[in-house]
Amino acid sequence: MDKKIILNRMKHNPFFIIGATIIVLLLLICFLSPLYIQFDPTVSDLANKFQAPDLSAGLSSHILGTDNMGRDVFTRLVVGGRVSLTIAIIVVALQISIGVILGLFAGYFGGVIDIIVMRLCEIVLSIPQLILAIAIMAVMGPSLSNLVFAMVFGGWVHVCKVTRNNVLVLRKQEFVQASIVLGAKTPHIVLRQIFPNVLTQIFVVGSQRFGESILQEAALSFLQLGIQAPDPAWGNMISAGRTFMATYPWMVVAPGIALMLAVLSFNFLGDGLRDILDPKRKV
Amino acid sequence: MLEYILKRIGQTIFVLFIVSIFAFFLIRLAPGNPALLMVPDGSSDEVIRAMEEKLGLHDPLYVQYFRYISDILHGDLGQSTQYRVPVAKIVADRLPNTALLAVASVVVGLLISIPLGIVAGSHRGTGVDFFAMFVALLGQSFSPVWLSVFLMLVFANVLGLLPAMGMGSWKNLILPVATLAYPMAAQITRVARSGIIDTLSEDYITATYAKGISRFEVNWKYALKNALIPIVTLVGITIGSFLSGTVIVETVFGWSGIGQLMQQSVNVRDYAMVQSLILISASLIAIINMIVDIINSFIDPRMTLS
Amino acid sequence: MSKLKNEEKVHDVAQKEKKREPLVEVKDMVVEFKTERSIVHALNGVNLTIYRGESLGLVGEAGAGKTTTALGILNLMSEESARIVQGDITYDGKSVFKMSNHELLSMRGGKVSMIFQNPLTSLNPVFTVGEQIAMPLRKHMNMKRKEALKEASKLLEMVGIAGGRVTDYPHQFSGGMRQRVGIAAALACRPELLIADEPTTALDVTIQAQILELMKGLQEKYDTSLLMITHNLGIISELCQRVAVMYAGKIIEEGAVDEVFSRPAHPYTVGLLNSLPKLTGPRERLVAIPGHVADPQNLPSGCSFHPRCANCTERCKTETPDMLSITDHHSVACFNPMNQEYNNG
Repeated sequence: MDKKIILNRMKHNPFFIIGATIIVLLLLICFLSPLYIQFDPTVSDLANKFQAPDLSAGLSSHILGTDNMGRDVFTRLVVGGRVSLTIAIIVVALQISIGVILGLFAGYFGGVIDIIVMRLCEIVLSIPQLILAIAIMAVMGPSLSNLVFAMVFGGWVHVCKVTRNNVLVLRKQEFVQASIVLGAKTPHIVLRQIFPNVLTQIFVVGSQRFGESILQEAALSFLQLGIQAPDPAWGNMISAGRTFMATYPWMVVAPGIALMLAVLSFNFLGDGLRDILDPKRKV
Repeated sequence: MLEYILKRIGQTIFVLFIVSIFAFFLIRLAPGNPALLMVPDGSSDEVIRAMEEKLGLHDPLYVQYFRYISDILHGDLGQSTQYRVPVAKIVADRLPNTALLAVASVVVGLLISIPLGIVAGSHRGTGVDFFAMFVALLGQSFSPVWLSVFLMLVFANVLGLLPAMGMGSWKNLILPVATLAYPMAAQITRVARSGIIDTLSEDYITATYAKGISRFEVNWKYALKNALIPIVTLVGITIGSFLSGTVIVETVFGWSGIGQLMQQSVNVRDYAMVQSLILISASLIAIINMIVDIINSFIDPRMTLS
Repeated sequence: MSKLKNEEKVHDVAQKEKKREPLVEVKDMVVEFKTERSIVHALNGVNLTIYRGESLGLVGEAGAGKTTTALGILNLMSEESARIVQGDITYDGKSVFKMSNHELLSMRGGKVSMIFQNPLTSLNPVFTVGEQIAMPLRKHMNMKRKEALKEASKLLEMVGIAGGRVTDYPHQFSGGMRQRVGIAAALACRPELLIADEPTTALDVTIQAQILELMKGLQEKYDTSLLMITHNLGIISELCQRVAVMYAGKIIEEGAVDEVFSRPAHPYTVGLLNSLPKLTGPRERLVAIPGHVADPQNLPSGCSFHPRCANCTERCKTETPDMLSITDHHSVACFNPMNQEYNNG
């Protein structure tokens, strides 16, 4: 689709704008954190525990308070965010790589390859994603690479299915048939004709996968199977803060809101992209 | 129709077979002696040897697998290392609690979302529509990870209206159900709404109006059936994340179901339990999906075409 | 069942007395549709009368406004996008836009029914054909479900489908058979007016012939008025007594079928008739009407046909012609009508 149309639609789509803005802000705040944080996220300082949020001295004070170990909540929030977002990026990149390749093969060549890939998808989907991840982490141990493996294992399927369905539809369309008749070779057809059309769908499903990954990592960290203490992650901060929340709620409120905003913005982005990239829409 | 049902059953059995293989291999994935995983820490060598015998670790893999399957079919899911009683017994105790939670959540979720979606879709652009869309959009991003904790914070800790944890009275059911039902209801509202919108734009709806059928009847009797199809499909798909959600919800609210059991078992490395719970939850989902598909085939007769 | 037969007899006699009374009158209808980009001028002053007991053919190309007019009679134009700028449509003297909801619902399907163009999309896929034929029966004749399904079964037989198939679903029928189901549902309550919107366009020629035979027979049997919408002139000459030609949302010629087809007055009508390939006589080039069909989003000034018209004069570009009577049974809206004899070969 024409780049101009896409840009124009982007400017007018409130979901895309809100989603993208929040995401950019989150990315900036979290990834630039080493430049401005004043406290150490993992070192305990028991003398200072359970401090209420204090905005008086800007970033030098505990603007979101401290937790049960005296650590600055805001620092842990942004550092944890950086970790969660990084993991999400890696996981989604892997999910897309695997899913798209398998989806392209399954959709374009059909036949046995398609059957095998689809069966594979069915099997992976038959076990709920989180439970699958829990099982894998339980058996293999809570390391970072295992975490990524467990999350990719369950998630590539959605990308694969979307890709495959798209390729199936495209393959039957006339411009592809015409290419085949004109003698174009398979790699050319796949790369030049089909892939660009699938790309738009990949953006949409990618946003969804991002939101899912953040949530899944949070759930795993919540259950103490993901990021391990004392390293911060939004999930394990909520889990740790639960015990004290009756009297010290900011320990859970801060990471909870962060999670909500992150996932909300990715969902908005995904919805917005879906509308923007819809070829059937009449501007 | 019968053919379709049989076909679906066959597919489900195949999926169960694969899941059982996965569960079977689970404990053999970790490095070291699998028998060690299945006995309590600090067990004597005899106990370990007995477990090795039971698992048939010296036998070829396929024999081990058959032994595993035959054990299951006889109701033997292994011995829990944390509770020292058969897994089957504990699961049987806890499963009804999760079932209660799940059923209550699905029922509440559907009762709210389907009418809301239908009204929103058939009255596009009105206040109800915007409200429904807003609420649904938010809800889709809600995760039990923080929603459960927030709800508890607000309603139990701050407002003191509802009990925080436990399973004693019907009041204990409210917060967990709300946590599970809301995200699901949000998705269903969206699907119901778009289902109705799509249906109402079809020729056959105009034809139905041309027969003198009232708007009310068209929305709630004729178009509804068509809109149900994507809804039922979605329920099937979300059941999976539902079960995942129960792990978190049960842990937070102290609900003694298999979700909480899963979390505990993983933490104490009770692998016999973990293995069985994977098998059970995946089987449940496969069966529920099959039932959902069969229900759908009654609603939409075109599905039974090959 | 015998109750129905008696009613029919009385109905027949009364009907014959009522002939030549206007049943539907479309008066000066101007309708616009709003789309995202622009306004579609669908109807631009349509005047049409359908009399009791007669068949009127409505001819025009796609986009001329035929379906909009038909839906208008049932007050089924899209609420969201259609805007009635002016005009009125009356049924039996009452405006369909001002009727109470109750009157409107009892008119639709009971006194006026419609057969839709695309048989593949005009039946609800999740209900049996029996239930869909039974719908108007239950609504208008107060039948219980079982009774209605029995009657539906008889109606199926009447249109040439085995009565036992009431319990089958639309996807189990071919296009032609689905259209017959549509006809059965439309005739279920013995309507006074049957609107057929291109009922055979989506079907093969051989099936077309069967459906038309069926409709002809049923129409004669029940003495129903018929509004036959089509772009196929052959069907009109088979089935209709009068014909109205529509272009760009206006009726531009109207009259008895024989007269209009043998002495067409409007250049557009002449063009339509000329563009039909002749099966006998010397081989000639197909004659197409030059230019493009008028775009309802961007109508030409004055007479909408002027850019394509061989008889176009200055007046045509600025003024819109009104309908003028040529004979008792023939009117045309043109400043420079043709006067030639058209030989059908």
